[in-house]
Amino acid sequence: MQFARLQEQVAWAWERVPFYRERFAAVGLEPGDIKTREDVRHIPFTEKSALREHYPYGLFAVPLSQIVRLHASSGTTGKPIVVGYTKEDIEEWRYCIMSMMQMAGVVPGDRVQMAFGYGMFTGGFGLHYGAEGLGCTMIPAGAGNTERHIMMIEDYGTTALIATPSYALHICEVGERIGYDWEKSSLRVGLFGGEPCPPKLKAEIESRMHIICTDNYGLTEVMGPGVSGECLSSRNHQHIVEDHFYWEVIDPDTLEVLPEDSECEGELVLTPLAKKGIPILRYRTRDLTSVTCAPCACGRTTARMEKVRHRTDDMLIIRGTNVYPSQVEDVLSTIPGASPHYRLVVDNETGLDRLTLMLEVQPQVFTDSFAEMEGFRRLVADKLRGVLQLGVEVRLVEPGSSERFMGKAKRVEDRRG
Amino acid sequence: MGVTQIGVFLENQPGHVSRLTDVLEKAGVSIRGFSLADTTDFGIARFVVDKPAEALEALRAAGALTAVTELLCIELPDEPGALDHVFSAVANAGLNVEYAYSLVSTYVALKVGDIQQAQALLAGQPIRLIEQDDLLNSHTRG
Repeated sequence: MQFARLQEQVAWAWERVPFYRERFAAVGLEPGDIKTREDVRHIPFTEKSALREHYPYGLFAVPLSQIVRLHASSGTTGKPIVVGYTKEDIEEWRYCIMSMMQMAGVVPGDRVQMAFGYGMFTGGFGLHYGAEGLGCTMIPAGAGNTERHIMMIEDYGTTALIATPSYALHICEVGERIGYDWEKSSLRVGLFGGEPCPPKLKAEIESRMHIICTDNYGLTEVMGPGVSGECLSSRNHQHIVEDHFYWEVIDPDTLEVLPEDSECEGELVLTPLAKKGIPILRYRTRDLTSVTCAPCACGRTTARMEKVRHRTDDMLIIRGTNVYPSQVEDVLSTIPGASPHYRLVVDNETGLDRLTLMLEVQPQVFTDSFAEMEGFRRLVADKLRGVLQLGVEVRLVEPGSSERFMGKAKRVEDRRG
Repeated sequence: MGVTQIGVFLENQPGHVSRLTDVLEKAGVSIRGFSLADTTDFGIARFVVDKPAEALEALRAAGALTAVTELLCIELPDEPGALDHVFSAVANAGLNVEYAYSLVSTYVALKVGDIQQAQALLAGQPIRLIEQDDLLNSHTRG
């Protein structure tokens, strides 16, 4: 069933989008050649650059008159890309979001408050219509005005909050400051997306807001949120909505497809199975993960991908050493009192690459003794050196000084000229 | 028991101290003494005030990181030899001082290990120990 849909999708792209027809011709391939999973490997990958080069409508498979909505990526990693949805695409997308929300324990009747911005970003409207489709009461508050969000949670009896994890933490902190009692609040579930959610941050929000936080995964290029979501039994994985996505994991260096049951980490490659507006074949997500097909305790049989911890794009090369921000998060999670809020700055002012960690000081580690604060700073620096095999300058900064973005938290700043 | 010191975490950036003093002023708190020291990237501001509870509440509400420490406080007459007199008494009592700084007019505050023990050891010395309430009095008098 899944494979038949894949074949249809390949034919749809080939018949209607010159880009795919040319790519197939270049490797001597036609849609009829795709008969087994093995054959899929012959289809050339699609990269983000293809969407940029054909900006805005060059990869659309239908006339614009059949496109009922446009969305665009935020452009955090370059120029924006634009995608279009037909009526059917919007329906499929809604189904994916509904599946993802049900996994997170959202049920009809839940009051779901939106703290994503609407706009061109897929998160806002995507989750909005999914929640309505599920029979929830949608509260389209939108991004910003944190105190109003808290008032709405209280007054409307909100049970589920859609936000980036960093903004959810901001709402939590503002609530605490104005004396809002999160334990007594009706809020039950957090649906997080838009940026990776480190486990420590998730645990912190869970204990301070007294909710269950789930995060979900998706990307504008293949649809938006709803590609996969977390169930309540397997907190470190997300079930892929396999009715709608064909997945592969590749070695990003050799581009070889890893065996389906290998459970090895590699780059996730996705093909949406029913995308009429802008079909995308074998999209290289740049997200590194591993996929398991082992049964899940929740009873779902779909494959589960490990939470995306890093992207091939995130990798920093510092004095020849590869560093992922997620490694820094891992180290911080082992140090009692170390905050999950940080920024990494790379520069070469002195001629040599230098990595600086700006770490927020948590109230529980602050003492007014220089010796103790210096000892804490040195402990963090030593542990980082041990794991990264690289000297890292650690600077202690005030809590709240890493920006809590309503969109994506910017944790890494590369100032190298 | 002695006087209350409020330590506040500071990043070395222009305006950070004035932000704190502004918060204290708005809270109607009078600073009776302070000390500022820094390492290369962060600092700790230490305040002794007339109303520590109000000061602490205002600073925390403003998002500052705070730590409370009790200090020994001794009267320091404004005359030659007074500081020597005080530190001789402290030395005679065998106390180790981590740091010390002057407060308004005629007091000196000292960070020592066990403040209760220090006060007991200094009881026989010819010096006057100061309590938190004395700071309030001197303020209202002025």
